[in-house]
Amino acid sequence: MLETLAMFGFGPDGWGPAMLRAAANTVAVAAAGFALGGGLGILVAWAKIAGNAPLRWLAAGYTTVLRGIPDLLVIYLFYFGSGLLLTPIAHMFGAEGFVSLPGFLAGMGAIGVVSGAYHAEVIRGAFYSVSTGELEAATAIGMPRLLKFRRITLPLVARHALPGLGNVWQMVLKESALISVTGLVEIMRQAQIGSSFTRQPFTFYFAAGVLFLTITILSGLIFNRLEHRYSRGRA
Amino acid sequence: MDFEFLSQTFLKLLHGIPVTLELATLSLMLGACLALAFAVIRVRRIRPLNWLVIGYVYVFRGTPLLVQLFIIYYGLAQFPEIRSSFAWTYLREPYWCALLALTLNTAAYGSEILRGALLSVPRGQIMAARACGMSGLLLFRRISFPIALRQALPAYGNEFILMIKATSLASLVTLADVTGIAARIIAETYRPVEVFVAAGTIYLALSYGLILLVRLAEIRLNPDQREPAPGAGVSAARKEVNP
Amino acid sequence: MNQMTPPAQPPAVSVRGLRKRYGALEVLKGIDFDAHRGEVVSILGSSGSGKSTLLRCINMLEIPEDGTVTVDGTEIELVAQRGGGRRPADTRAMDRMRARIGMVFQDFNLWSHKTVLGNVIEAPTHVQKRPRAECIAEARTLLDKVGIADKADQYPSRLSGGQQQRAAIARALAMKPAVMLFDEPTSALDPELVGEVLRVIRALAEEGRTMLIVTHEVGFARDISDTVIFMNEGVIEESGPPEEVFAAGNNTRLARFIEG
Repeated sequence: MLETLAMFGFGPDGWGPAMLRAAANTVAVAAAGFALGGGLGILVAWAKIAGNAPLRWLAAGYTTVLRGIPDLLVIYLFYFGSGLLLTPIAHMFGAEGFVSLPGFLAGMGAIGVVSGAYHAEVIRGAFYSVSTGELEAATAIGMPRLLKFRRITLPLVARHALPGLGNVWQMVLKESALISVTGLVEIMRQAQIGSSFTRQPFTFYFAAGVLFLTITILSGLIFNRLEHRYSRGRA
Repeated sequence: MDFEFLSQTFLKLLHGIPVTLELATLSLMLGACLALAFAVIRVRRIRPLNWLVIGYVYVFRGTPLLVQLFIIYYGLAQFPEIRSSFAWTYLREPYWCALLALTLNTAAYGSEILRGALLSVPRGQIMAARACGMSGLLLFRRISFPIALRQALPAYGNEFILMIKATSLASLVTLADVTGIAARIIAETYRPVEVFVAAGTIYLALSYGLILLVRLAEIRLNPDQREPAPGAGVSAARKEVNP
Repeated sequence: MNQMTPPAQPPAVSVRGLRKRYGALEVLKGIDFDAHRGEVVSILGSSGSGKSTLLRCINMLEIPEDGTVTVDGTEIELVAQRGGGRRPADTRAMDRMRARIGMVFQDFNLWSHKTVLGNVIEAPTHVQKRPRAECIAEARTLLDKVGIADKADQYPSRLSGGQQQRAAIARALAMKPAVMLFDEPTSALDPELVGEVLRVIRALAEEGRTMLIVTHEVGFARDISDTVIFMNEGVIEESGPPEEVFAAGNNTRLARFIEG
């Protein structure tokens, strides 16, 4: 048991630093995908709320399709699909073999596109739960539309959206484990490397689980804090 | 977009549907049994099991399914005790490992759904049952559970769809489900877009077929929720608070 | 306290020294009373007087901290439990007792997943284990008696409030109870629906059933009761036949309640 723990130490033979670096990659790709998804989600939510019929149909199609297809397939699409585009270009420049987006970018893209669908629903729900009175008041005092959006609509919707966004974040975090298929050295990939090197798969995958759980707990705390702050003044 | 290739791929992918459906349905049903046990433990606060269930749910909802799957499929092989036990005939097979991982995972989510549903059964109806002399298993079987089930159906329908998507991870432990076959075709032909469209269509069809089934089940189980008669229900204006 | 001729049998319901507390608030401060076979007792009082709590202690939906309740000659023994309070020594005995007491709730509490007929036969079939065919036949008779025979195969959500309450009364009667308890049976009803329920309750009273009714319908109480009990702040302040209790100048608090 003690040797197991020592294996994760920070000495020259220890896997500690590698696992922590991998954890940083996990958080990074998840955060990047989450941010991308957030941007997409706002656009799609806006299309559903204020767009004309074709836009609404497109948006509905997007959310329906992307919530019904396994994430793994989307990741394959981004990873191998990017290779389709990039390989010929890279060959023109003299590169050889299969060239694709690095795992990080492919992963971020896939996570972004999938989470965008969930973001859109959360934002839409949050928008409808903001009382129209508060928004009307801003219009009534003559706020120009962009200013109103920035100073009133966005903060109010953000406050209602926080719990849902917290759920999407947890989902994105777990999704990031699938990015390991692209070769990106996040937690799962690092655990795979470690387990094949040391022939101790249980140890490494268990450690991976512990890392994920830790990140989950910390994320939960942060989102709780945020929800508290943004609920100031709420009845 | 090569439509010839697309339809060929589509036909090949159909072979993966049995595995996908089997894994999803079996794991959901087994997981639901577990989930019911967990939910009852949580609602009745049976200590110390209560805390164990809380921990179980937290861990299984807080870690990726992939981690759970790999621990079971790759990780358990690390222990000689397991390799020499009778369970090894099952645990060395990717199918049973995937089934186990999916079951344990959906049990965690399902237990929260059922817990919420049990807690939302109107207390008045339970009180009326007690007043007639019902208690324990009889009360649960005849009143609490049927009402909770109707409540849980929409959320459990959603869970079914999530399970269909989750089975795609079985492809990562060598199983030939729809995603597994798709991955193989992509690796052989480098044509991810067509394969994605074909596989995606199959998953969407499965999901929507399921949604329809669940809606049908909901309608059948809730005959009282077709249009209510006018003037029905308790008058809110005359409600009084009882001491 | 009761002016009827001394009965030959023990009282149908007998309550001694009942005390009930919710946290720091004492809701029942020592209640003693008897209800005899065939007697109709109305319990009046303002909100917070403890009348509903008293009713719910009789079939142990609330467990009193102190005191005893005897129904139809049987007392449910209560023992102390860890964490404070008391619990029934024998839950089976309590269930059997509850099956002999019919209760009608303010909010009807019909089971939403069963038809009206299903609601009425549920307890006789599964608690009293009587043959299903017999229960169904009796249920239809009861539903006819309360005037909703045509609604037997409907679900509760499609009935009006008055119809639901009458179904609830039929459900309680189906168990052939020794005592009927009514907890503000018309308080949640629209005014125009109150009458139909009161008519049914009056008919039951005229049949000679033992009934305890917590109600705000003062006129109705005066009309059908053998005994009226007036509660205030956890104690019985007045008790006796309606003519006595409602006689002018007897108790200003009661008089204020009646007028109020």
